[in-house]
Amino acid sequence: MKPAPFEVCHPDVLRNATEMLETGGQGAKLISGGQSLGPMMNLRLARPSQLVDVSRLAELQRVDERSGSVLFGAATTHAEIEDGKTPDPIAGMMRQVARGIAYRVVRNKGTIGGSVAHADPAADWISALTVADAKIHIAGKRSNRTMAMHDFVLGAYTTDLRTDEIIIKIEVPKYSKNVRWGYYKICRKVGEFADAIGATIVDPERRYCRVVAGAVGGKPLILAETARQLAQLAAMPAGETIHDEIAASATGLDAASRHQLATAVGRAITEAVGL
Amino acid sequence: MKPISLTVNGGKYEVLVEPRTQLAEVLRDKLHLTGTHLGCEQGVCGACTVIVDGKPVRSCIAYAGSCDGAVVETVEGFAGDPVMDDLRDAFSRHHALQCGFCTPGMIITARDIVHRLDVADEKQIRHELSGNLCRCTGYMGIVAAIADVIAKHKDGLAVTTKSETAAPESSAAPITPFEIAPEYVIDGAGSSVHAASGISIEDGWTTIARSFTLDHALDDVWAHFEELRAVARCLPGAEIDDIDGDRFVGNMVIKFGPINARFAGEGSRKSDVADRTGLVHGMGKDTSGQSNVRGELAYKIAQADDEQQTRIDLQTRFQIQGILAQFNRKELVESFADIIMRQFVSNCDTELSGDELGKERNLSFITVIVQIIRSKFRELMRRS
Repeated sequence: MKPAPFEVCHPDVLRNATEMLETGGQGAKLISGGQSLGPMMNLRLARPSQLVDVSRLAELQRVDERSGSVLFGAATTHAEIEDGKTPDPIAGMMRQVARGIAYRVVRNKGTIGGSVAHADPAADWISALTVADAKIHIAGKRSNRTMAMHDFVLGAYTTDLRTDEIIIKIEVPKYSKNVRWGYYKICRKVGEFADAIGATIVDPERRYCRVVAGAVGGKPLILAETARQLAQLAAMPAGETIHDEIAASATGLDAASRHQLATAVGRAITEAVGL
Repeated sequence: MKPISLTVNGGKYEVLVEPRTQLAEVLRDKLHLTGTHLGCEQGVCGACTVIVDGKPVRSCIAYAGSCDGAVVETVEGFAGDPVMDDLRDAFSRHHALQCGFCTPGMIITARDIVHRLDVADEKQIRHELSGNLCRCTGYMGIVAAIADVIAKHKDGLAVTTKSETAAPESSAAPITPFEIAPEYVIDGAGSSVHAASGISIEDGWTTIARSFTLDHALDDVWAHFEELRAVARCLPGAEIDDIDGDRFVGNMVIKFGPINARFAGEGSRKSDVADRTGLVHGMGKDTSGQSNVRGELAYKIAQADDEQQTRIDLQTRFQIQGILAQFNRKELVESFADIIMRQFVSNCDTELSGDELGKERNLSFITVIVQIIRSKFRELMRRS
């Protein structure tokens, strides 16, 4: 189907983009790569009256490397990360995650900032950036702010972003050279949204360890107890820990989904530290 | 309409496009390059894949207006391109097509694969091809054709080196145990969105139950629920146009990510003062005419353990038909319904406290969180 009629503007600087969003009000929608919004508009599930196209905004394209982190411009495409055109602060994890997103054609257009703003619970960056303790840099018309990824996503398709705000950068901390990571997604067909995602980063040098279960319908679950045991043991936590923690935090999910999540998390941990 | 310029298969074109015109439409309907096929028109099947500025993209979800100045190549182009010539030969030799509908997109994706990879591993070719659907060949011939051409060109073409699958170094020396630094510890309990459970989907009817406690006396809460307009005021997105006895006419705006639907309809309400229970029933059509919704909100109001508190049991049942029904995924609906019900109860609390609701009742979720904290209502977990 063709999308319902709409107006579009292509702001040339960030300030204009936030102004256009404000003027557009409830009917305005930011578009970057358009790989999620585009299909929803073609299906007429989404019918924004005004699109603000930021895909060519120079301020969102830059990738800056700092001493302790890498700042990805929000319009960095998945393909750019996959091809290693950007620094990888987690020893190859970002590349691997990017490579698993949808299909190459989607990765050529789809952006990391767009994916975070769309906040589909089953999308890869939602879980990967939560496990990586990323920070979201947000520009508003009046002021800018920064927010931790795990606070930013509030639920399915729901974030803390206000209608006149734009994600400008995603900041990912640099992990040490010997960081261990694992990322495993259960997916019936390559390129589809995941049924379950498990992700972990273990960095003894930074005393950092986090375990995440994603594609849960709402925001990713941070498995604090599993992470604590994983760090203390430097090995796979006891059998029931993962299962129990998932069951305790995601009571809305059926037994099959919980089992898939526990399996994905277990495999991610195995990738990171072995069995 | 806005003029854009495109270079397509080497030729320069100026075309007038609407904001919603897709690149595929321009190619097919204005430039008559009908080799680019439109299959699903939702970015899934890959038949419409073309090259834009050197990269394959889906032309069914690429707005022409955002391609102004772009260099486009379609299946009709590639004159004298050695890889494309070889792919055409190989597709023919390996019977890599039957009906041919997917072939334009398939062959353009194939060219991208040959350019990016210099190994002819079947698994990887299939992985790369996963965004192009073929319903005839079973992919055997297509994969074989691409493998042939990769093998032929492996020494002179690949623009990126063999796409390294950055495997984690799990074979490295064992790591030492450690305690997580306190600044990295996050209380996992707080991250759960739908800890309170109770959702079922049966015969297309979704049922969600939640219980809340309000710091207000039973009679006040009951009086509030008895007033239909007050209930509607507190329900995010709801608006009552007219009331006639127990019947009402109104509409409800549903916002969920990029989805923004307005349902117009009618309903009725029954309540039983003896039991302190009530049932609001409504049905409506989304104003663009593509989906229907029927829903019920059942409530039971009772004295909580503390005399100054009232317990509210809410049960929402609804059925969606039409295009929006595909979003009736259990876990998504639960996350969404949680937000709505929390907003509702929080708004009731605000009104009962004598405060006016903010003008913008289509509240952002963060406002609601603030209200929830402020209003000190406690949610009881109810497990189904």
